[in-house]
Amino acid sequence: MMKTSNKTILSILPLLLFAAVTLMTGCSKQARKDGLSASAKDSTLVIGMLGDADYLNPVIGASLTSSNISGLIYPSLLQSEFDTKTGLLNYMATEKKLRPSTGEGVPRSPKGALAKTWTMSADHRSITYILRSDARWDDGKPITSRDFKFAYRLYGNPVIASPRQQFLAELVGAEKGSVDFDQAIETPNDTTLVFRFYKPVPEHLALFHTSLTPLPEHLWKEVKPQEFRESKLNQNPVGAGPYRLQAWNKQQDVVLSSNRACVLPKPGNIRRIMFRVVPDYTVRLTQLQTGDVDVVENVKPEDFTALQRANPGIKVKTLGLRVYDYVGWLNIDQEYYHKTGKLKPHPLFGSPAVRLALTHAIDRQAIIDGYLGSYGVICNTDISPSLKWAYDDTLKAHDYDQALAVKMLEKEGWLPGPDGIRQKNGKKFSFVLHSNAGNARRNYACVVIQQNLKEIGIDCRIELQESNVFFENLQQKRLDAWMAGWSIGLEIDPLDGWGSDLNKSRFNFTGYVNPRIDQLCELAKGKMRPEEARAYWVEYQKILHNDQPVTFLYWIKETQGFSKRIQGEELNISGTFYNIDDWVLKPSANAVP
Amino acid sequence: MLKYILKRLLIAVPLIFGVLTLTFFIIRLAPGDPAAFFIQPGISPKVAEQIRQQYGLNDPLPVQYVKWLGNVLHGDFGRSFSRAQQPVLDVIAEALPVTMTIAVLTLIANFAFGIIIGVISAVRQNTFLDRFLTVTALFFYSMPEFWFALMMIILFALKFPLFPVSGLNEVGAENYGPFAFALDRIWHLVLPVTVLSINGAAGIARYVRGSMLEVIRQDYIRTARAKGLSEKTVILKHALRNALLPVVTLMGSSLPFIFSGALFIEVIFAFPGMGRVTVEAIFARDYPLIIANTFVSGALIVLGNLLADVLYAVVDPRIKL
Repeated sequence: MMKTSNKTILSILPLLLFAAVTLMTGCSKQARKDGLSASAKDSTLVIGMLGDADYLNPVIGASLTSSNISGLIYPSLLQSEFDTKTGLLNYMATEKKLRPSTGEGVPRSPKGALAKTWTMSADHRSITYILRSDARWDDGKPITSRDFKFAYRLYGNPVIASPRQQFLAELVGAEKGSVDFDQAIETPNDTTLVFRFYKPVPEHLALFHTSLTPLPEHLWKEVKPQEFRESKLNQNPVGAGPYRLQAWNKQQDVVLSSNRACVLPKPGNIRRIMFRVVPDYTVRLTQLQTGDVDVVENVKPEDFTALQRANPGIKVKTLGLRVYDYVGWLNIDQEYYHKTGKLKPHPLFGSPAVRLALTHAIDRQAIIDGYLGSYGVICNTDISPSLKWAYDDTLKAHDYDQALAVKMLEKEGWLPGPDGIRQKNGKKFSFVLHSNAGNARRNYACVVIQQNLKEIGIDCRIELQESNVFFENLQQKRLDAWMAGWSIGLEIDPLDGWGSDLNKSRFNFTGYVNPRIDQLCELAKGKMRPEEARAYWVEYQKILHNDQPVTFLYWIKETQGFSKRIQGEELNISGTFYNIDDWVLKPSANAVP
Repeated sequence: MLKYILKRLLIAVPLIFGVLTLTFFIIRLAPGDPAAFFIQPGISPKVAEQIRQQYGLNDPLPVQYVKWLGNVLHGDFGRSFSRAQQPVLDVIAEALPVTMTIAVLTLIANFAFGIIIGVISAVRQNTFLDRFLTVTALFFYSMPEFWFALMMIILFALKFPLFPVSGLNEVGAENYGPFAFALDRIWHLVLPVTVLSINGAAGIARYVRGSMLEVIRQDYIRTARAKGLSEKTVILKHALRNALLPVVTLMGSSLPFIFSGALFIEVIFAFPGMGRVTVEAIFARDYPLIIANTFVSGALIVLGNLLADVLYAVVDPRIKL
């Protein structure tokens, strides 16, 4: 008995091996021939992405990838256009625009909007949309104003926990904690949609907040809120946009195919769009080189030369300035704050003069030259130079001037100690600079900063933490000094980051308190036209520039790699896929008919 | 033997259960918040709280544990936090076949190459060929696999584009028909399986060489030669069979290693397998998925060890279980 089983194992093994080896080597050539069927590729745009979409449902989709894909599947109430001349977002219905296009940047067609026009009431407390009557969901049912009202109830339902519930913050009832939908949204007929606010709202904000994507009520009304996230409908979304979901292989790819009959808007010549999950950065880059993938986001500047040398058919495109890195200094004594809830200046970074000295001591240009090259710009405050309507271009960047930094530190009482490290009242100027692990740019910057500070007698040690841990420590205000980044929105709303009420301002990690900043933010928000708020934002920038609650380092021009077979793409700070509807895919030279 | 296997399996139950309980508490004690993604500008502060409520993370830890225990005893490992509320067992059911394919192919390639190289270097002991194979094996054995994987991609996908860079199938492969589809899949598996198996094969080759050398010196081999058997028969039939006894048991214990190797191979080659599921679950603090993954890998290790012990008894009649 034992003998036979012994024999079978030993005799089967080589057979298996042989089969495996032949399969693995012998067949590769044939498979390759089949694999490169050029016609499928010629009508397919392949976008490489880091991770899979979460929900292809506009109510609960949280990742950027999900929003990008949902945007192609679902229709939208308004079309938007980013004006590079002013940095303002323009909203368009088919027969109305918020403001005339300035002609800067690539104009977008308003034809795809569901709304024909809108009227803002004189008291800015309500907005009325007139919808087009010919729009239909993919299953043929008409899109009506009720679909919007139904969707807004879902957005506002705490059980569903939509990440977009902030959009409902001005609707009637929101001031008391929960929106009163019967009052706030009215649908007198199929093509009229009225939103009511509890306070006057600027028109651009009203348009922004009322243009959330609708869902087909007739399909979703049976789904219970607690089962909303688990619903099978999330796997087969019924939309009305230029593309339909063709296949979704989890963690591999999402394939969309164009819907020729669609007018919301009409799809271009790209018949299929494939979002392909490639988690490893180097591999994504390699696929861009080999042509397996047409778009890769966030290509690092150090890879450009090699990329373009390897494949001249690749172009590198940049977005505007919407991401910056900074060094955060804890402004308050965290131990005292945690114990008493009261504020006391931080022993090292509590004084604006010390923080300013630190900014002067850091060679920001050297970090840019050494890492970002022409893709970095010195950052003064958190208002982006791309938002020209608010940006103060008269502000002069603090120079790299170590002599000045030393003078300022000594004036503050920080004198060199016996070991070369500055001290004041026996306390050494020595701290740990924290950052998140795995970000080569920040690691590089940390090392330059450490070196710069050492030169003026400040001891700075670097500690890298896993992102989740780092973020939790930041929120708990457990870090004295850290290096992190920030991505700004198109609406300027910085109160979450600098507000004086430290319990309410979730992102005020520094503990910076300046009531004038709160005032300015409120004043700016109260203006009915954004341009009228410019004076407030200019003052805001001056204050931050002088107080240096953090040392703003540099704005980063995010860079995206594109295959040259894509034409007509326009990128700006509203995103890489800003005008994907208008992209054209040029057939390859070796296209097989 | 059946009794022995049953006994081992019974012991495995509390063992795996203990591991799961430990994991349950450790991941909850670790810093980081599954709802952290929802704490960002533009998202209402209420959302993170609502999400935690949905996930049941607002209950006290003992309550969470009792609830979890009840569900697991009913075979319900819960729904994934980070993967769109998919039941975690579905997530694993999708990922496990991918990893299993890689693991089985790797296991086969491991032993095939390992045994061939080992036998050659033992038979030709101390010749140039032996030294060359030994050095090469050591070279690959000591190479970090993630780096080796990237080098293979650069060499065989970029410089000499023979194989695809990543993915399980070509764009548009779903229209190929079953045979071409399978070929396309295999073509995509060549690089990753090569990377994974070269390292293991090098190790096995060392084992085979050592065990082979020991066997060739035995009296019965001399007897076999003396009675005029051909060298081929002596080596393959008499020596190799006995030399393989200790090697076969490696099969069971190398399974967990191949699984952990598949971890980074899946990230680099963009395969939606268990390795990637695990890594992403840990970074997202996806508690139910982490626990279910621990369950699967724990069970595999226990089964792998059991397999090793059973194989011992199967190939060596002197051992009684």
